[in-house]
Amino acid sequence: MAGITTAVAVLLGTPAALALARLQFRGKRPTQALLYLPVIIPEVVLGAALVTFFGAVEMRLSLWTVVIAHVVFSVSYVAIVVRARLAGLDPALEEAARDLGAGPFETFRRVTLPLAAPGIAASALLVFTLSIDDYVVTSFVAGVGATTLPLHIYSMLKVGVTPEVNAVSTLLLAATVVLIVLAHGLMRSGTRPESRREEP
Amino acid sequence: MRRIILALIALAAATALACGGGGEKQAEQEKTPARKLNVYIWTNYLPDDVLADFEKRTGIDVTVDTYDSNEALLEKLQSGVADYDVVVPSDYMLRILVAEKLVLPLDKAKLKGFGNVDPRFLDQEFDPANGHSVPYLWGTTGLGYDRTKVTAPLDSWNALFDPRYKGRILMLDDPREAFGVVLKLMGRSINETDPAVLRQVAERLKAQKALVKTYNSSDFANLLAAGDVDISHGWNGELAEVVAKDPKRFAYVVPKEGSTLWIDSVAIPARAGHVEEAYAFLDFVLEPEVAARIVNGVHYAGANKAALDRVDAAIRNDPSIYPPEEVLDRCELIRDLGPATQLIDELWTEIKAQ
Repeated sequence: MAGITTAVAVLLGTPAALALARLQFRGKRPTQALLYLPVIIPEVVLGAALVTFFGAVEMRLSLWTVVIAHVVFSVSYVAIVVRARLAGLDPALEEAARDLGAGPFETFRRVTLPLAAPGIAASALLVFTLSIDDYVVTSFVAGVGATTLPLHIYSMLKVGVTPEVNAVSTLLLAATVVLIVLAHGLMRSGTRPESRREEP
Repeated sequence: MRRIILALIALAAATALACGGGGEKQAEQEKTPARKLNVYIWTNYLPDDVLADFEKRTGIDVTVDTYDSNEALLEKLQSGVADYDVVVPSDYMLRILVAEKLVLPLDKAKLKGFGNVDPRFLDQEFDPANGHSVPYLWGTTGLGYDRTKVTAPLDSWNALFDPRYKGRILMLDDPREAFGVVLKLMGRSINETDPAVLRQVAERLKAQKALVKTYNSSDFANLLAAGDVDISHGWNGELAEVVAKDPKRFAYVVPKEGSTLWIDSVAIPARAGHVEEAYAFLDFVLEPEVAARIVNGVHYAGANKAALDRVDAAIRNDPSIYPPEEVLDRCELIRDLGPATQLIDELWTEIKAQ
């Protein structure tokens, strides 16, 4: 489920980042602000708002509403991380590609995408961890058959901390740490060639 | 690029790992048998074998989700888009659900086993004449203590006011429970509303504060188990876990003056999509044999009187689960006190701030 969330968030978030980094369009600033919103507002507010929304559109709570809710906050993280990566790239590289006769699509596929890939992968890892660990938003929007691991752990606590809770929590923590370290490594990898050259 | 591929492989592996547990369940759901039931219940409230029996006997495919607080349940039902067919709210929450018309009135003609319920738990203030609910499990507030440190016999709330245990006492951080202790010691109801009496109670609690190590209602059982306190005011479920792990060292008692009682009941949400199946489930858990197996599995006292002689003797005779009749007679449900609630909250703030 966290995998689906990640895929959808990356597919939606990357173009958003691309648009924000490369294009000038009307309403760019409000869009930017809007994108930061899910990161800034408290999770409780987001969860409550989402459940009200699902209620208003008569959408039955299920595992799918959990996915939708996770995508809502994940898209922001993807857009922010990928955008930071794109901002660090030299626009001259894309210009050069176009000079050499590459069309816009080819430029994107052979130049922009490979350069942005570490950022995209890092954001995917980040979002995956956020999704798999999330408790607050999930607890609001989970429906039938959607007791996720954090929800299950939390409800197990009612009868005291059992060895099972400890074991599962340890596994979850270890997986999270590994993913975050990977994501961090990716975000730093592949720095701009020029800046490397400038180094003494 | 190789790094990225590695990372993506790690991600895929993690996804597979995370989905592994859910995969089986999903496969089961895809078979879509004609009849389904979605149960939303407290953790550790429905033994797996009882559930499996219900599915086998009725052919109904049951999905169980768990919640950790009455408030979580309320939020789900209020959303209007949660597809649950059976829920198990506690007494005070049931009153709210009934008032907000979030649970269906019960047709007791459909429940053959309704007569098995102990009349003691029927027709309570939270759901008059049980128009909407069937009592399921119940429990008490009492004292958990460390027998290696508390050597004198302990059967009274007075222990919480005994200077011998100075700095070794934990009180629930809950005004109604704390006031209940003193009110019971005074021989009064825990639902006392007379302001003069409540002020008197507050004075005694202020005097007691010097003896109390901490006020805590989330972690009390663990603090007792860890040896941070010797006597803990608390709810029986959590304390029973501690006692079960080391019965030589720990014990739980419902003080002889009486205590507070809670009842969790089964009800059918107003928007349930599988009402017929929900009735089948309610009738199933009302069967004496099934009710006894539930009690044996979850170690909480059951409200089913006909089931009592089939409950394991060790549980049935355990005074921490089934307190003696005369003690139970002095136990009461916490009621909504109306305007007096505010006074109690104010006095509690004074006590805590002192």
